[in-house]
Amino acid sequence: MESVFLTFKIRNKYNLLKDADSGYHMDIKGNIARLQDFYVLSVKAPMGVFRRPYYFRETVEQMDYMGTGSFFIVFLVSLFIGMALCLQISAELGNLGLKMYTGKIVGISIIREIGPVSIALVYAGRVGSGMASELGSMMLGHQVDILRVQGVDPVKKLVTPRIISSVLMLPMLTIIGDAVSLLGGYYISVFVSHQSGFFYWSQIKEIMSFENIISGIAKPFIFGYIIACISCYAGLSTKGGARGLRESTTSAVVYSMIMIILSDFILTRVLFYVLGMKV
Amino acid sequence: MIEFQNVSLSFNNNHAVLNDISFKAHFYEKIAILGMSGGGKTTLLRLMLGLVRPDSGKILIDGQDIVTLSESELRDIRMKFSIVFQEGALFDSLNVRENVVFFFREYSSLSEEEIEKKARELLGKLGIEEAIDLMPEELSGGMKRRVAIARALAGCNPRMVLYDEATSGLDPLTADNICSLINDLAKGEPPERTGFIIVTHKVTDAIKVAERFIYLRSAEIAFDGDISALRNTEDPELRSFTEELHIAEKYI
Repeated sequence: MESVFLTFKIRNKYNLLKDADSGYHMDIKGNIARLQDFYVLSVKAPMGVFRRPYYFRETVEQMDYMGTGSFFIVFLVSLFIGMALCLQISAELGNLGLKMYTGKIVGISIIREIGPVSIALVYAGRVGSGMASELGSMMLGHQVDILRVQGVDPVKKLVTPRIISSVLMLPMLTIIGDAVSLLGGYYISVFVSHQSGFFYWSQIKEIMSFENIISGIAKPFIFGYIIACISCYAGLSTKGGARGLRESTTSAVVYSMIMIILSDFILTRVLFYVLGMKV
Repeated sequence: MIEFQNVSLSFNNNHAVLNDISFKAHFYEKIAILGMSGGGKTTLLRLMLGLVRPDSGKILIDGQDIVTLSESELRDIRMKFSIVFQEGALFDSLNVRENVVFFFREYSSLSEEEIEKKARELLGKLGIEEAIDLMPEELSGGMKRRVAIARALAGCNPRMVLYDEATSGLDPLTADNICSLINDLAKGEPPERTGFIIVTHKVTDAIKVAERFIYLRSAEIAFDGDISALRNTEDPELRSFTEELHIAEKYI
């Protein structure tokens, strides 16, 4: 079977599909072909924004599903992560007599690292699996074939709105999630750890530097793009009925999570270098 | 003109789905492709549309080999066809109206009123105008096929409609209605007529609509001929496959 975003000419040239799934040789060829497909998808789909027709309605629908639909779970997860983190940090700092720095450490941890990563992981679980299963069932139900037969580019119609929405919505959810986590930290700091609320917020204010904010905001754009590309690719590669759908949904979430963690480290390193932050 | 030249295709573990298939067909022809389930009938349609690539051979549409074309180059070729898939392949999140006008919205600059009028016209022609606001999951199997046919006709002016198991899973009366509909839509005289290829394993349905019959067996074309040739075939397997036709004729 061939995926919808296939570069037929290139595949024909290297004969990549001819003996599909028939042993070791094809495994290597198959993996190269899949990598090539993924590359084509992840480059071609965002470029769709600059070409007619524009799918505004689909993009808004996806933004609603990804953004509004994920709000509650992001709120819940962020609140409890903020509270748990503050609890752990204030306990440890209390032993060292440095409790007054709780706000600062909680703030930096959440804004730079824990907020973007945890929200991206939650988002991959909810939105990534949703995208993969939706596109997967469209593949199995021949709806994607119908689009192709009628001359509609499925990548532009189905993938571009999802990537754009994901890239826009994840940073917004991250900002909200970070704020909620800080509020959770505030609650623990004031009502459990019995510190001054004013001091907590002044510490947070202190760490709201350009470097920290950029460091926390840049990551979700990349994570959103990665999650959407991987999930759409997994969905559009679905074959083989319910079992295939299960596999593509699982692989969408698993690969998204792995890539989030890996890219987080690389991004952190790059941002440290670009923003001139010292280790 | 559609022309398959020595087309072969195999899937997993080198299982041959089609082996050295060659035939020619005009766009105005009424063709039924018969064969056992899993015999490569649907794959033949998918090959014709460039949705699947063959391992070897050529597929010529109006003299142009589509095997080496890219997705964007295939667009014009595909616009010559429309396809109705087995379960209708309706867009689940859209109601009947939106499904039918889907391609009007994609391609035409018609106003909303005109699009609504076109949708009602098409659905009226297929006898399901009352279902215009229903969602796909609220439709029966027969209605789904009708909506899918309406959508296939709405997209463009196809020169040929491809029906993939259009009557399977339907009760005899509904299947009969669908067959009449397929016949009605192919009215006119060649070469202007909009032809069709129907893929089915129900010989009685094929007889109702088609003039030419292609039987696939073991990944090869075992029979290609008209109704009289089909009736008089000496091939024992094909005879057993067409047994239901003989029984039906006996009772009639």
